[in-house]
Amino acid sequence: MTISTSASSTAREWADLYWIVPGTVACLAFIATVRDPFALDILVTTLLWAAAASAWNLSGGYAGQLSIGHAAYFGIGAYTSTYLLLTYGLSPWIGMLIGAALAALTALGIGALTVRLRGSFFVMATLAFGAIAHIVAAIWRSVTGGSNGLSIPFEPSFARMVFADKQSFAILALALLLIVVGTVLLIERSKLGASLVAYREDDAAARALGVRTLRARLIAIMISALFTGICGTLHAQYTLYIDPDSVTGLSFSLQVALICIVGGVGTLSGPILGAALIIPLASLLRGALSSSGSGLHLVVYAVMVIMVLLALPEGIGPSLMRRVRAARGK
Amino acid sequence: MLETLLQLFVSGILAGGIYALMSVGLTLVFGVLRVVNFAHGEYMMLAMYFTFWLFTQLSVDPYVAILIVLPAAWLFGIATEWLLIRRTLDAPHIAQVFVTLALSVLLQNLALLFWTADFRSIFVPYASSVVEIGPVLVTWSRLINFIIAIVTAAAVGAMLKYTYTGMAIRATAQDRRSARLMGVNVDRIYSMTFALGSALVALAGVLVMPLFPVNPFSGGEFILVAFVVVVLGGMGSLLGAVVAGLAIGVIEAFAAFYLGSEVKQLVYFLFFVVVLLVMPAGLFGKRGAEVMDVT
Repeated sequence: MTISTSASSTAREWADLYWIVPGTVACLAFIATVRDPFALDILVTTLLWAAAASAWNLSGGYAGQLSIGHAAYFGIGAYTSTYLLLTYGLSPWIGMLIGAALAALTALGIGALTVRLRGSFFVMATLAFGAIAHIVAAIWRSVTGGSNGLSIPFEPSFARMVFADKQSFAILALALLLIVVGTVLLIERSKLGASLVAYREDDAAARALGVRTLRARLIAIMISALFTGICGTLHAQYTLYIDPDSVTGLSFSLQVALICIVGGVGTLSGPILGAALIIPLASLLRGALSSSGSGLHLVVYAVMVIMVLLALPEGIGPSLMRRVRAARGK
Repeated sequence: MLETLLQLFVSGILAGGIYALMSVGLTLVFGVLRVVNFAHGEYMMLAMYFTFWLFTQLSVDPYVAILIVLPAAWLFGIATEWLLIRRTLDAPHIAQVFVTLALSVLLQNLALLFWTADFRSIFVPYASSVVEIGPVLVTWSRLINFIIAIVTAAAVGAMLKYTYTGMAIRATAQDRRSARLMGVNVDRIYSMTFALGSALVALAGVLVMPLFPVNPFSGGEFILVAFVVVVLGGMGSLLGAVVAGLAIGVIEAFAAFYLGSEVKQLVYFLFFVVVLLVMPAGLFGKRGAEVMDVT
């Protein structure tokens, strides 16, 4: 990652725009031309996962706080907006913000409770919080509908955030991804980003130099949870059905982390690259292999992740970049 | 009233024996390799399926199946240690954590592929026969399982304490570099410890097979209990795992009776969080391990 301060690296400061702008244009062109619902579905799913993985990356990647409990925030976002919509008819646009705020507050609580834990202990604590969220979603029937889940009626209208065409939703997901990426970009270049990396690399040294790593970590985990909650609302509005397994299950928490790891953890482009590789692959595999039994696409996927972890532990993006730089002789 | 309390206590202790057995392997692997095996529960699930398969295809009694399943689990442990774990020991922490997490996803879905998501169970006539101990009723198989679990845990403890290999394992756990300087073949110790951990959790799997149905995600449920137990007992502590296993069994039995079986999991996770926060070193663990980078 680049935390550049010298004047000579102004070009590098804006280097990310070289892929963000063409990427956005390519997405818009895809949305404008492609009419195939299957292809558009893959695009929407990829964009939503890229946004969720970028949000995870902020705390998991830059600060190295490996959370496998982010489904708690995703679930809070999804259930809050859906409950408010179904019970009070509140527009999901507002419910989304309330859900995001609740997710951020929950993250502040969990973050404050787990600040002292490092390494595997932090991982296990987040696993427990994720499991608690799943149990609460399953037993708090009056709000969540228990294991029956909640269905959002298909009544297309902008105020209800339900669209008859997939294009509108793809634009919405793209906008969310750009907001998340923009936020991460700003944080990466700020003192906050530097504090997070300082914490990840050597907490004691950072604190000795006066870096307020604790404050930085709490802010990072709150922003991370906030965006994860928003992704939860969008997921609910897109699929129109949520239940404990789909929005608070361990598989969500694992998937956001694995996307980052495959793409390149702690880098701006990593989660997007990871999502662009994994989500279409998973969708295509699921389509191609579903006849031969469920679970095979996840087998392929897990093997791929293990191979990336063993062969390219920095992730595909950074490893490629290094080879390109080496080839250029820089 | 008193009888109910006593009955709950005894059922909890008996269930806790199995939790202890599951957790001994996990805590041992952590103590020696400094790796949390997030796929530990899947080894148990595979052992349950293997027992199921032996029983239905070859009508091998579960207690006889121990003789086949344990060596298989040992070999499987050696294979995973050699293929995956060894290669991540010096890798960044993130690779260590996610290699075993990805392994658990892999094993779960392989099981799903082979056996579908249906629950499988076996019926042995003696599983439900009951013995009366004073005012308390216990099933024979639970009682025998408990005895096997505790004897096994004690045997592992004695092995660690009195044999040369056990001493080498403890030396590696304390300081791998010094152990190597003293002539301990550390790589072999890693391999053996991981294999032992796999065999122990597989034994737990065989023992519970006549009592609980298995599906590909059973391991994930059991492993969460094992994490609670291991953290409560203190990561790396064998005695801690046994004491905490029994304690969690009792807590679970009371919570299930008074609060309902849905809420019981919530109770022990909240308990887990409280333990992590109040005494992260657990009952018998080393202080400070939770704030060190245990990589």
